[in-house]
Amino acid sequence: MAATAVSRVREGLAPVGAFFSSFALAVKKGDIYVKLSLVIMGLGHIVRKRVASGIALFLTEIGFFVFLSKFALKYIGKLPTLGTVQAEMYFDPILFTNVWNDYDHSFKILLYGIVSVLMILAFIYIWMTSVKLAYRLQCDKAEGVRIPTLRNSISDALDTKYYRTLLFLPILGIVIFTVIPLIVMIAVAFTNYDQQHMPPTALFTWVGIENFRQIFSTSLTSTFGYTFAKILTWTLTWAVLATFTNYIGGILLALLINNKYTRAKKFWRTCFVVAMAVPQFVTLLLVRNFFADQGIVNTICSNLGITAFLKNIGLVPEYLNYIPFLTHKVWAKVMIIVINIWVGVPYLLLIATGVLMNIPQDLYEAATIDGANNVQKFRAITMPYMLFVTGPYLINSVVQNINNFNVIYLLTQDVYETTDQLMAISHGRETDLLVTWLFRLTNEYYNYKMASVIGILVFVVCTVITLVAFNVFLKKNKEGEMQ
Amino acid sequence: MKKLSVLLIVMCLAASVFAGGSSEQAAAPAAAKAPIDLKVWVGELYVDATAKMVESFKAQYPEETFNITIGIESESTCKDTILTDPEAAADVFTFADDQLLDLVNAGAIQEVLVNPEGVKAANGEGSVAAATVNGKLYAYPMSASNGYFLYYDSRFFSSDDVKSFNTMVEKAAKAGKKVGMQFGPDGGWYLYGFFKGAGLEMVINEDGKTNSCNWNTAKGVEVAQGILDLVASGAFVADSTSNLVSGATDGSVVALVDGTWDANPIMDAYKDGYACAKLPTFRVAGQDIQTASFAGYKLIGVNPHSKNVGWAMRLADWLTNEANQVLRFQTNGDGPANIKAAADDAVRTNPAIAALATQGQYATVQRVAGNYWTPAATLGTILSQGNPQKTDLLTLLDTAVAGITAPAL
Repeated sequence: MAATAVSRVREGLAPVGAFFSSFALAVKKGDIYVKLSLVIMGLGHIVRKRVASGIALFLTEIGFFVFLSKFALKYIGKLPTLGTVQAEMYFDPILFTNVWNDYDHSFKILLYGIVSVLMILAFIYIWMTSVKLAYRLQCDKAEGVRIPTLRNSISDALDTKYYRTLLFLPILGIVIFTVIPLIVMIAVAFTNYDQQHMPPTALFTWVGIENFRQIFSTSLTSTFGYTFAKILTWTLTWAVLATFTNYIGGILLALLINNKYTRAKKFWRTCFVVAMAVPQFVTLLLVRNFFADQGIVNTICSNLGITAFLKNIGLVPEYLNYIPFLTHKVWAKVMIIVINIWVGVPYLLLIATGVLMNIPQDLYEAATIDGANNVQKFRAITMPYMLFVTGPYLINSVVQNINNFNVIYLLTQDVYETTDQLMAISHGRETDLLVTWLFRLTNEYYNYKMASVIGILVFVVCTVITLVAFNVFLKKNKEGEMQ
Repeated sequence: MKKLSVLLIVMCLAASVFAGGSSEQAAAPAAAKAPIDLKVWVGELYVDATAKMVESFKAQYPEETFNITIGIESESTCKDTILTDPEAAADVFTFADDQLLDLVNAGAIQEVLVNPEGVKAANGEGSVAAATVNGKLYAYPMSASNGYFLYYDSRFFSSDDVKSFNTMVEKAAKAGKKVGMQFGPDGGWYLYGFFKGAGLEMVINEDGKTNSCNWNTAKGVEVAQGILDLVASGAFVADSTSNLVSGATDGSVVALVDGTWDANPIMDAYKDGYACAKLPTFRVAGQDIQTASFAGYKLIGVNPHSKNVGWAMRLADWLTNEANQVLRFQTNGDGPANIKAAADDAVRTNPAIAALATQGQYATVQRVAGNYWTPAATLGTILSQGNPQKTDLLTLLDTAVAGITAPAL
């Protein structure tokens, strides 16, 4: 296992090594123009009659150095400290407004510093590639290969290499909207960016792995370790329960509706699917109000004597005269899962119906001839087939449920309050998932550093689950075996 | 080549994006005749009234051109929006006084430099104290009715009954009715009054970031027991104010602790019986103790990052002058912070505002560091459930105090 991992890493790194060695080769074997291209980008191109590309490269170089001197160096220089100049201002009665000093904004330094570093790396890549290309042009010329003109290149970009042209915008989008924020977010986990250190007035700085130490440790006044362990346990429990209850519920419901003895199949299916027409958050907020301590369901239960009955059998604590649907830690957890089944099963119903309809009927016929009963058919044909088709979906659902913010937040916010005093100190609650805890820490307590740490840990948890599940669970379900 | 040109375009695009962002904002001098741009954030219900006030403000300075826009931002969440990006926040904004400390700590609010003495003289002592941090006035008081008091159904309780929580719950328990108060989420705001009433302290330290609290004492245990006694009657229910208001509407809740923002639905619920009073007393170790409370004010602040800080302060001052506080009482029912406006007969005979004014002598300005809220809400929840684990009360208070006084996160 370890050996394959090492060889995989080696495989993955091979192109990188090739890139550098071919660059070294280009510098070594290149003629004077190629070597000069190291300093004046595009020279090698211009000499080999690729004037337009050459000029573009040269302009890029100039543009880059302007960017470097005007912008990048300013921020990269401050990146190690994230700024030292505290904001100060005074009111100028003549201008009739405030005059601020040229203060450092730690977050901007972090963001623009990281962007600058990425831009420098991108430039180095362009620079090395341009030298390699200059060398290739030199070789082509020596070998008498016709050098493609600009027009050739453009028509290439619209023809044989059109996929690259098409992919350009999406990749740009991913870099700007995903990669850069991700790097910045990860960086925040190593700073002390919180309410005491909020730009622009205050500065924040690097603190190393201090935050990670804090999330795994517990003292009387800082209970992150305790809270993290509790919330992680509930998050995983919830993810598994929410996924499988919905899954089983959806399949059973689909089987029931598709059963040949069921009448008005379309009507029943419509009934369940109509529930999807109401936005989920509306449903959840309404349900939350129905199940409030003094809400309508409680009134009904109380009038019907259900509350008294539950009290007698000990399911409702003696000190309450209502059913604490969403305010008692066990009740709330059960209710959340039950409500989630209710809002989630229609989706699974649709998926399961689709898959069930696609199971070849001859399998069932063969099984019937062999004398299998319905339970056996379900276990030997229906479930394996379902699992095979929906396996990746299941894993995906578990990960999605780990991050299922809506259900938890909308059902418990402003309703549930923890009675665990240690959790309260870290602003956590028994019903919180890691993401809702993270949300409260950022949104109500501006604790961005711990939120980032939790964000990274959520990512790690999701990655581990996905990798393990795909490798262990899905590998067994090879298509060949299925057939 | 293709790769290269792709990267080239990336470079150019990115360079152009950041070239724009890199130019630092210079403080533009307020040229005499350039239009003055100001953005005002008010709660949704105040938009119409504010628009009128803005028009009268413009009329004060005919020689200037103003470009004043009104945006909607609830006073209760204003701080959160501002702190997301103080440089992009509105020039003038309205907020509840509990947010002042965080705004000051974040440097997101301007010290009052236009007419500070006039403001201090014109407005009630409490509201000025609520707008002051470390001796500096940071905001213009806008209304003084953001605290809480008792609403009750006078068809059920006599005005003598509502003098004591213990009398009230006894009577309500016999009739199967309820007396309500918010204890769970955000319950720390209400819970404070019980401990403060008994003379215990929970105050912010001089660092402005942590709290001191002496609730974990013998006296504190007696207070907690006093709350447990009320809960034990079965008639004292803890729920969110919105649920309690529905309870008032369906007749099960005959008295509740709430603020003026819920006055209308409660008026509809209690009809002829609608009445208000200061908070009742509660029994602690055989002694009746007046329940204290947090005072609540709405304030108007100015963004120090504004391009026109001076004009923003003038506008804020205008929005909170006597005439405009009266206007806000007429349009929104807000109790004025302005002394003269508050002395008006229409204001004084308003039951809710009168009750708040009586409660005012037992109310403290809210200066609390952030770590108070969750541990206090949890303590309140445990007490409102009658301390089901039967945790030793001192241990319970010790843990709560450890959380309340914990160093800032």
